[in-house]
Amino acid sequence: MIDPKNDAQADVYLQVRDLKKNFGTFTALRDISLDVFDGEFVCFLGPSGCGKTTLLRAIAGLDIQTNGSILQGGKDISALPASERDFGIVFQSYALFPNLSVIENVGYGLVNLRSKKEDVARRVSELLDLVGLDDQGDKFPAQLSGGQQQRVALARALAMSPGLLLLDEPLSALDAKVRVHLRHEMKELQRRLGVTTIMVTHDQEEALTMADRIVVMNDGVIEQVGTPEEIYREPASPFVAEFVGTMNFLNAHKGSNGEIMLGDHAIHLTEQEKKKLNGDKVLACVRPEDIAVRNVDQGTANSFDVTVTDLEFLGSFCRATLSYGADKSQINADFSINLVRDKNIKVGGSIRVALPEDSIHIFSQG
Amino acid sequence: MTDQTLPMEKNVVIKPKLSRDDWIMRTFVVGIGLWLVVTILMPLYAMLSKSVQDKDGVFVGMRNFAEYFSTPALFNSISNSFFIAFVSTIFTITFASIFAFILCRSTIPGKSIFKGIALLPLLAPSILPGISFVYLFGQQGVLKFVLGDHSIYGPIGVIMGEVFYTFPHALMILIAAFSIADARLYEAAVVLRTSRIRTFFTVTLPGIKYGLISAVFVVFTLVITDFGIPKVIGGQFNVLATDIYRQVIGQQNFEMGAVVSVVLLFPAILAFAVDRLVQRKQVAMLTARAVPYEPKPHVMFNRIFFVYCCLIAIMIVGIIGMAAYASFVTFWPYNLALSLDNYDFDLMDGGGWDAFYNSLQMAAYVAVFGTIIIFTGAYMVEKSKGFKFMRGLIQFFCMIPMAVPGMVLGLAYIFFFNHPENPLGIIYGTLPILVIVTIAHFYTVSHLTAMTALKQMDPEFETVSASLKVPFVRTFLKVTVPVCLPAILDISIYLFVNAMTTVSAVIFLYSSDTSLASIAALNMDDAGDVAPAAAMCMVIVATSASVRVLHALLTHGLNKKSQAWRAR
Repeated sequence: MIDPKNDAQADVYLQVRDLKKNFGTFTALRDISLDVFDGEFVCFLGPSGCGKTTLLRAIAGLDIQTNGSILQGGKDISALPASERDFGIVFQSYALFPNLSVIENVGYGLVNLRSKKEDVARRVSELLDLVGLDDQGDKFPAQLSGGQQQRVALARALAMSPGLLLLDEPLSALDAKVRVHLRHEMKELQRRLGVTTIMVTHDQEEALTMADRIVVMNDGVIEQVGTPEEIYREPASPFVAEFVGTMNFLNAHKGSNGEIMLGDHAIHLTEQEKKKLNGDKVLACVRPEDIAVRNVDQGTANSFDVTVTDLEFLGSFCRATLSYGADKSQINADFSINLVRDKNIKVGGSIRVALPEDSIHIFSQG
Repeated sequence: MTDQTLPMEKNVVIKPKLSRDDWIMRTFVVGIGLWLVVTILMPLYAMLSKSVQDKDGVFVGMRNFAEYFSTPALFNSISNSFFIAFVSTIFTITFASIFAFILCRSTIPGKSIFKGIALLPLLAPSILPGISFVYLFGQQGVLKFVLGDHSIYGPIGVIMGEVFYTFPHALMILIAAFSIADARLYEAAVVLRTSRIRTFFTVTLPGIKYGLISAVFVVFTLVITDFGIPKVIGGQFNVLATDIYRQVIGQQNFEMGAVVSVVLLFPAILAFAVDRLVQRKQVAMLTARAVPYEPKPHVMFNRIFFVYCCLIAIMIVGIIGMAAYASFVTFWPYNLALSLDNYDFDLMDGGGWDAFYNSLQMAAYVAVFGTIIIFTGAYMVEKSKGFKFMRGLIQFFCMIPMAVPGMVLGLAYIFFFNHPENPLGIIYGTLPILVIVTIAHFYTVSHLTAMTALKQMDPEFETVSASLKVPFVRTFLKVTVPVCLPAILDISIYLFVNAMTTVSAVIFLYSSDTSLASIAALNMDDAGDVAPAAAMCMVIVATSASVRVLHALLTHGLNKKSQAWRAR
């Protein structure tokens, strides 16, 4: 589960080992092991109920795990209460104190630590500067927009210079446009500060754009850990393939010479995928945007004729439904508007498409 | 990797270490639990055990109960009590439902004035309507002809008094039920061309169903446990609550008092249980997306509605006004000159003006300490982590006072605190015991108000504080209390007004030094000094009303001050 590429570059900051969490008879997490490197931005991604928030809350000490251990900066924090751990946290609701001004909110923890008022004031203005709210200090949370509230919560979480920043769906209460903007801003800020960050999200786009590594979770277990590109390009399980991005799942059979048979068409695989062949039934995965039409002719490898049964206009591109073979199996393909015009693709028409060898992933079906 | 550095075995169950805050919170939770055990559970236990003992404290099983049920003079009160409760409930609910409907679903003018008048009875001790009826319908009453040959002393007077006394309680619940209407349902009914009548039966009635059931049980409980009205105007008509008083004060038969208490406890607990069950369902009724209903004017209906509201308002004001007028009349009905003679309480039995000052002092203590104890308790129970069993148990304890009639609680306090072996007995006969019993008596409603306010707070405030290494106490004082201040003020005013007006729980517990205004009124009435009793009631009404006005001003000022952060 641990990415060997990053291992050499950075030290492990957070170690999670064999974590299990039961709520009564329900098992929310089973045997979770994970390393988070120093300064890394990690996203826990998964559908609701997959255990990602439970894992975050265990790391924060809010709902302590049933078994297993957590080490932070080499220190065993498995059983420590939240107040004795070192983290800052931003919740989906932000949990800003409504009766305190922005300055008081951000300085809430600092007042407890430092005696000098000027020090606190300086640090607070530094933090507000950092999140771009230096002129909003005297306002109350209710007077700010959702995006500004989110940034106040972020500033407050960073105030104590925590070793670990935890973000629990920090963007999901915001409008789509603000979300895209803040996504970028938060990532920038994190990179600048170099604070080790864990974010929980159910939004794959958020995870893909922000994370250094993504931890895909489902049903209380980790399905895959990897960089956004690895997750997208080389899904380790059908679940990951389906959850992240759009994916065609095609039923195929094992052919000869390490090929698979998609209906009557023999499809070549990369050497790496060939090794995964085992058993007769195979699930072949290919992304709609990987299906090629240009420069495809009778001689192109992995090419075959299809009928266009539907074209759905989605703005910048069209999603085509194609059918092939005797049983009219269906496959989705994303075609640019350009391509649709050039190749005169229309419903009922026939075209020849190819599945590039390196875009195909297979999973054995029992 | 670095697995070898891990000290933990794979299947060792992690035992979470408790933080300092956890320890403090748990200490408070245990403290509040002990408080409830001492002020509610142990007295009740003392009373229950007394009901199965003889005079010397020897266990006799059900013998007291057998005696009770073989004495017709005693067990006839059961049917009397139920009769009064049933009839009063029917009247109150009918009047209050129509009133609430008009206030919420019509466009008549002066709605806030009508509502204000309808809530006036809350400010008065329950004996006030009884005293007023003496002047209105008694032997020398101004409206005696209305009753013809019937006497006001007896079930008629009691029922009329109970309807007056319980009306605002039912009204508040029903207004809440009517005002959660979802306008979309009514629009759908109109679009589907449903008649007004059918809309009423298919939309309005199901919408208020739970509120209606809840109001029925609240009124029923209030009536069956009320002591003041039957005492003043019941005449020879005995009910359970007055029986307890007669057994204990009149005949010094404490065991039989305990038996009657147990009998009275049954319907009260039953009504309470049903009410809780129903309220649990009510919560799910209102969805976040519901659109508030805006009533549309209807000329003919509005006239009828307005007349109805005027009639009810005139009756309420008339009853209070009669008592007020009578309190100023020098000697009814022979010398109608107005004077303040009746307010010269120091010349009468009952405790004089000192009783009033005692009341004021007690109500202030109840308001201050009660609010602190109840709100802090609710906070600890709501916000502490783990400790589930204990917290659930305390939640349950907090609900008990609602089901225990004041008379029963007062008697239970005698048994518990007057026991020679109880070291807490030193507070018997002092002001503190009156404060404690009153806090216990009105605990449930205050606790629920506090819980409602606390549940609206973001549950992550405490988490954020912990991550910032701020002790929860600071967050409690700096955030929770300021944000919940409106609810805290509501609790304190509720406690204050109830402490001013209550009779039932304290009647067994006052001493000659600690008589209270409401008890003085009762005793003066008992001694035949009806006009001074009316005067004392008016002093109580005036005090409660002033405090209410003060509260309104304070809340208004507070809202203005906190507008900046409360506005959304």
